[in-house]
Amino acid sequence: MKTSVRTFLLGLLAGLAAVALLWFGYNRLRPYTFHGSVMQSPNPAPEFTLQGVDGPVSLSDFRGQTVLLFFGYSFCPDVCPTTMSDLAKAMTLLGSRADRYQVIMISVDPERDTPEKIAAYARHFDERFLGLSGSPQEVAQVATLYGIYYQKQEGSAASGYLVDHTATVMVIDRRGYLKLLLPFGTAPEDIAADLQHLR
Amino acid sequence: MSRFWQWVWFTLLALVAVSALAFKAFQPVQVVPRVRLAPSFALINQDGERLTSEDLRGKVVLYDFTYTRCPEPCYDLNATMQAVQSRLDEVLPADIPMLFVTISFDPQRDTPEVLRAYADSLGADTSRWVFATAENPDLLKTIVGAGFEVYYQPRQDGSFQFDPRFVLVDGWGIIRGEYRYETLISNTDRILRHIGVLADEIQNSKGAAKLAYEAAHLFLCYAP
Repeated sequence: MKTSVRTFLLGLLAGLAAVALLWFGYNRLRPYTFHGSVMQSPNPAPEFTLQGVDGPVSLSDFRGQTVLLFFGYSFCPDVCPTTMSDLAKAMTLLGSRADRYQVIMISVDPERDTPEKIAAYARHFDERFLGLSGSPQEVAQVATLYGIYYQKQEGSAASGYLVDHTATVMVIDRRGYLKLLLPFGTAPEDIAADLQHLR
Repeated sequence: MSRFWQWVWFTLLALVAVSALAFKAFQPVQVVPRVRLAPSFALINQDGERLTSEDLRGKVVLYDFTYTRCPEPCYDLNATMQAVQSRLDEVLPADIPMLFVTISFDPQRDTPEVLRAYADSLGADTSRWVFATAENPDLLKTIVGAGFEVYYQPRQDGSFQFDPRFVLVDGWGIIRGEYRYETLISNTDRILRHIGVLADEIQNSKGAAKLAYEAAHLFLCYAP
């Protein structure tokens, strides 16, 4: 009788271990599929310091928070308002967790976008959003390193000129590593889901 | 009790079978890592035309960096570019566009005319192998030095000290491979193998297979 109890307990233990292992394996092997492209950056994202409305702002100021980086400009007619309002909606979806994220918009039109102007533009979508600008040289350096190409299109709009630019949103994790690229047009629900699945 | 043991054994066997299946499903999928973003740029090519990083979006690009007066064999840079091109159809399906770009870090001497003559001397088909230098020399160090992480420094005599390097970039503008020193395997072989792995991912990473590819990225199943 004693041995049968022991075998029963051993069997139960083995069964539980097998179930636990299966469950663990299932969870490990069933990865969440990100809507953006997952990066395996071995080095931190390029550091930058640009002008905010209250003084200089650096990427490294946001260690501990996940940064969503977007390049645009305040005269932008379509791409930027769409992306910025999608980001604002994603923040609303994240609710109380939204304070773990910081949206930063960098102007690719520093000649017209003063720090005040781009900051006001970003805030228009969400009070917490930051807008940064700088000298044309500073902006060119940062945009180059983040793979953002921009080019003035002279005389193509009533407001003066348009600026063609790459419209990817870059997600930089709490430790400063570029983790995710969100292509233009990623839905707010998908942005929020991706952010919650970032390790 | 024997029925109970049957059940335990069945569970264990099922576990082994599931693991084997999972291994079979995920193991053959290899990827090249998404290392970091390639820099953006506006270059000027051998015909005096502008070539920007946006023009190259959607294409696989192999870059190398040199200056035209670098005495041959110049780290076998041109020889490697030629060798990869000549064997490209072994690994890359015809419907995936690919371009080769040689960037000169000597914009003062390597004008479009010089680059054109250089391309001709190498017998390069410039619809596939482009020679270019920066439109704005101020940004060259940012693009080549900081962006592509290629060290170069002019010497007094007008030559350059530099680290030879090839960089493989995908259609999203993401660096997928960097090749510096020759190991036991030649750079040509490694570059070709990685182009093949990238091509497989471009062709097959759809639907259910996308899961396996993204899993390979998460679990770091990198091609050697």
